[in-house]
Parts: sequence; C-alpha cells; structure tokens
Amino acid sequence: MMKTLLLTSLTLLTFFFSGLANADYDRNKAVAVEKVLFGTVVSARNISQEELIQDKNSGWKTFGGALIGGVIGNQFGGGSGKDIATVLGAIAGGAIANNRSQAKTVVIHLVELMIEVECAEQQCQQFMVIQDYDQQMVFHHQDAVRMVYLANGNVRIDKQF
Amino acid sequence: MKKLIIITSVVLTLTLIAGCTNKSVVRYGDAAEVETTDISFGSTDLQKVAGEMTDSLLLSPVVGTLTANSRPIMFVESIKNKTSEHIDTESITDSISTKLLRSGKFRFVDMGRVEAARKQLDYQQNSGMVDANKAMQFGKQVGAQYMLYGNLASIVKSNKDQSDVYYKFTLRLMDLESGLVEWADETEIRKTKGKEFVSW
Repeated sequence: MMKTLLLTSLTLLTFFFSGLANADYDRNKAVAVEKVLFGTVVSARNISQEELIQDKNSGWKTFGGALIGGVIGNQFGGGSGKDIATVLGAIAGGAIANNRSQAKTVVIHLVELMIEVECAEQQCQQFMVIQDYDQQMVFHHQDAVRMVYLANGNVRIDKQF
Repeated sequence: MKKLIIITSVVLTLTLIAGCTNKSVVRYGDAAEVETTDISFGSTDLQKVAGEMTDSLLLSPVVGTLTANSRPIMFVESIKNKTSEHIDTESITDSISTKLLRSGKFRFVDMGRVEAARKQLDYQQNSGMVDANKAMQFGKQVGAQYMLYGNLASIVKSNKDQSDVYYKFTLRLMDLESGLVEWADETEIRKTKGKEFVSW
C-alpha cells in the first residue's frame, strides 16, 4: 500500500514537471539553413487571409505574379508559377479548413515584404516574400533584414538586429 | 494508521504540486555559469566566442607587430548571422571590442554613434549656445585604419533521438588602406541534445 502511494505521488510529480518542459520560440530555434541573404525592407504591407483567398480565386494576379521570379519561384524551382500557387493555396486552404471546423472566421494575418538584397556586382535584386505577421517582429521601411532560406523549403525574413 | 498515511501522502503531493504552480522564484546567478537551457545559441556560446576571439587576436604575432609602436584605430563591421536563429550579433561585437579596448592595444571608432556625434557637433557649432573658442570642430575626427568583421554560421542535424548544432564563428581584421586581411581566426562550438531517462 505504502509503495503504491509513493509510486502514485512520484508519477503525479513527474507528469507535472514534464508538462513544464516545452517552451520554444521559432526564431530562436536552431534549424538547418541553406543560405542567408542580407538586405533592407523596401516596403511592408499587411495582407489578410481573405485578400489571399480573393487573389487565389482570381488566379493569383497579385501575389502569384510577384512571387514567380522571387523567393518562392527560386525555392521551388523552375519558376513555373504552379508551385507558388500550391504554396499560397495551402495557406489559403488552411484558413478555409479552420472555418469549417470551428464554424467561425479565422483570419491569419500575413505580411507582404518587398526586400532589396545587398547589391553584388552592381546588380540589386528585389524579392517579394509573404510570411505570417509576427507581433514580436514588425517590419518597417529601411529595416535591415536577413532572408533565411531554411532547409525545409521555407523562406523567413528576420531582422538583423 | 493506514488512513493517516494515505491522507498525509495525498496532502504532501498536493502541497508540492500547488506550491510549484503558484510560486515564481527570482534568484541571482553567476553570469559566467554554463547555460544549457536549450540547444540554441546562448550566453555561454557568446562568452566563449568573444573570449576566444579576443585572446587569439591579442596573442597573434601579426597583431603584436601592428600594436608594437602605436594603438591602431579599428571599426567593427556587423557580424553576418548566417544561422536560422535571431541572434544579437551586435552583442558579440560589443563584447569583443570592449575586451580589445580594455587591453589598451587598440582604439575604436563607433560607426553606430556617428549621427549622435554629428548632432552634438552641430549643436556646438551652430546653436550659438557654446563658446566658439571651446566648441569642437568639424572635420577633425580620425579615420579607422582597420576593419573587424565576421560571420556566424551553423549546421544543424537532427533525428528523433538527437539534435546536433555546430556553430562556426569567423573573425577577420582588414587593413582598410591596402585591403589586406592581416589576421583571421575561427572558433567552433558543438552542442548536442539527446534523450535522457530522467528529465524535466
């Protein structure tokens, strides 16, 4: 009886402590990186999920066109536009699924960033990146940023300082 | 008797749990203590990188020659962070430049404070508030002779049982006039995170 009680007490405590162990912030997490480009923010604009879905319905006239030659195009190869639509479509689709399951509008805020990468050999490149809005890191015009190409196929914009 | 043991045991457990959930404790710790909270870049890594780089630079024979008869003027260019993590690389360069300044062998110009210095000189020269004979003059600053710059890169590998992060910090010293890299060194850090039998 005593043993059982002791074991129960210990198990309870172990569960309790293990529940405390997980606290992680994506931007501070060490993950595999393919390459990093450095540049500045030319423009930053918040776009809503609805705007994305609207653009999806109109055949990616706004975002698809801008991304073909940009980061997503490079990242997924070929710059065909089909893959870009798939990526953005997945983001837009995520919101729709949420709407169905929760029966209310879930708006995921996205930010559209135009980044000018540091010029090399007198060639300056601009990339348009769409990523989720992060309250901890709000981007403004002229911010020095890093464009991190993660090994999982994602691109992330992160402030240099 | 048995009932008493049961009650005591349950009360003890509940007290422990309740005590832990509601109590936040603030303690002072040793700033140089090894920090292993998680696998990402932390204070111990920053201290190791800054310490090793400064020692290497100061003990280098080339730098010994450069600083034999003068105190060269340096400026620190930002460290390029090529990792996935949001690391305050300015803090690394701050630590390195502070250690180098403390050694008394180098002098620094701070490019991050140029605008503030310009405003102050402008105030002294043009506000009419400062005695013209005692006001600091424009165009008398001394230019840096050397530039300190570097990279921080990482390689991350992980599977379901283990994560491994390898950091490589490279620092270089360039003669701004000749463009020659007078000194360079790198320091490496390897961190692994594996599962243990008892862990919380």
